Amino acid sequence: MSTALLEVRDLSCRFGGLMALDGVSFSVASGEIFGLIGPNGAGKTTLFNLVSGLTPPSSGSVIWRGAAITDLPPHRRNRLGLARTFQNLRLFDDLSVLDNLLVALERHSRSSSIDGLLCTARHRQAERQRREAAWQLLEELGLSALADRQAGTLAYGDRRRLEMARALGTDPALLLLDEPAAGLNPAEKEGLCALIQELRQRHRLTVMIIEHHVPLLMRLCDRMAVLDFGVRIALGSPNVVRRDPRVIAAYLGGDASGETP
Amino acid sequence: MIDNGLLVQMLLGALLGLSVYLPLAAGQLSLATPAFYAVGGTLAALLSTRWSVLGATAAGGFPVLSLLLELVLGGALAGTLALLVGRLVLRLRGIYLAIATIALVEIVRVAILNLPFTGGAIGIFSIPQPFTDASGYLLTALILLVLTGWICQRLDTMPLGRAMAAIRDDELAAGCMGIDTTRVKLTAFVLSAVVAGTSGALAAHFLNTWNARQGSFDVSITTLAFVILGGSRAWLGPVVGGLLLTALPELLRPVGDVRLVLFGLVIVLGPVLAPRGLVSPELLERLGRWGSPTREQKP
Ligand SMILES: Nc1ncnc2c1ncn2[C@@H]1O[C@H](COP(=O)(O)OP(=O)(O)OP(=O)(O)O)[C@@H](O)[C@H]1O
Ligand SMILES: [Mg+2]
Repeated sequence: MSTALLEVRDLSCRFGGLMALDGVSFSVASGEIFGLIGPNGAGKTTLFNLVSGLTPPSSGSVIWRGAAITDLPPHRRNRLGLARTFQNLRLFDDLSVLDNLLVALERHSRSSSIDGLLCTARHRQAERQRREAAWQLLEELGLSALADRQAGTLAYGDRRRLEMARALGTDPALLLLDEPAAGLNPAEKEGLCALIQELRQRHRLTVMIIEHHVPLLMRLCDRMAVLDFGVRIALGSPNVVRRDPRVIAAYLGGDASGETP
Repeated sequence: MIDNGLLVQMLLGALLGLSVYLPLAAGQLSLATPAFYAVGGTLAALLSTRWSVLGATAAGGFPVLSLLLELVLGGALAGTLALLVGRLVLRLRGIYLAIATIALVEIVRVAILNLPFTGGAIGIFSIPQPFTDASGYLLTALILLVLTGWICQRLDTMPLGRAMAAIRDDELAAGCMGIDTTRVKLTAFVLSAVVAGTSGALAAHFLNTWNARQGSFDVSITTLAFVILGGSRAWLGPVVGGLLLTALPELLRPVGDVRLVLFGLVIVLGPVLAPRGLVSPELLERLGRWGSPTREQKP
């Protein structure tokens, strides 16, 4: 597909005797919300780790806008426009909420460390821009009141939103969300759904999202892939996936409306 | 009891404390400070005693400008060494990095002990004096400390310093946020080496003699104690730790041998009574904003 933003090609990842991913291929088109489901241990997070560069694949390749990025370290991939959140929140707990964002906004700087040391006009302007961008993101995600708080002291829902804000701070084209709705109550889940759609509009994002709550994901996604024991067993629009017999057998247990534990 | 000579030593202690603090601010436990200190000191000792261009006089005098040149060269040599070694050792994490840097300290010590031109176990002596008394050294050391402290203070409001703090918190997440973690860690390591190398060059003149023992493993532990006692979360911590722990053995001299016990007690009890160190960010917050990251108001 020529318009694909991200493509994974025959991606495999072996941990000792365990095939966490086994020859997975699909591509994500620019602008879509792409869902990833599968039972616990299916390899969803592993796939995110391979795409973001934290884990090297055993074989296969990750292709970004037509060029292989399989050998690039995580920070280079981020700078190409690929950002993520983590299933088990990984904020900079000792830093303030604002500083968490400023770290992510670092790349929007044309001032060097020498500028920073001497506090030149260029440094001051870069700092001002960073702070404006940070406050705007805090505003968008409803975190402004918490700007000075230490990230580690926030409530769970706020931490989840801060992680999204931090990823957005790196100005991504593709946002990988690993179970952003985990631990939220139904009302909060609905709010998150709306937020993701809103952010996609405003930041012109492509989103890949892992979520166990199937009905929610089916409503949110344009297309989705289903993993089971590291194998991609289905791919397509929610309506197609919903009716796929292998999905029903392996994952949905015969009922597409249910939520897995 | 505190004379200028002791004050110089205290300031050098504070500088070495900052040298340990800098990599630690990026989450890297490096004990390599004595190696860089030894490299800077040995370079200064060699240059001033062997290289007549620098202008050492027969009476043991030495131009202050030549001293400044040595401080720069000592820092530069140590920094270059750190750049080369850092690429290798900074791949290691936690305790493994600590062990590798101890190995570096040993390698440098043994090298200085055995090189044909460093004077073996006796070392290099009669290092010429740029100042007639300790007050000149005091001023120089104070300027170095203020300069280093200022850099550390600036770091808190700079992308580099924030990236260091982010790596200390979660290196993996920092990488995913676009931070070149290898480069940031290497920068902190090189800065640490430059501070130690410059301090070593000054110390060589101040002490008048220089040998391999100046950069031994015990110095790794002593300088680490500066940071643990003083605190590793704000740059003022290692400064206070370095000043206090360097002064303490001298101040306790009147009580005789008990002083070693008391010294040990301070090192053990310090972290128990103040786990975050004597100077914690919370303390600085209460005292005013100096030395801790500045808080910003919403524009
Ligand atoms: N670093 C690792 N070393 C060894 N095994 C691993 C590692 N990471 C993941 N695994 C294994 O790979 C398999 C897939 O794990 P992964 O975390 O990708 O699953 P998941 O689909 O995200 O599951 P969940 O829904 O529980 O988050 C699991 O069996 C897991 O135990
Ligand atoms: Mg997972």
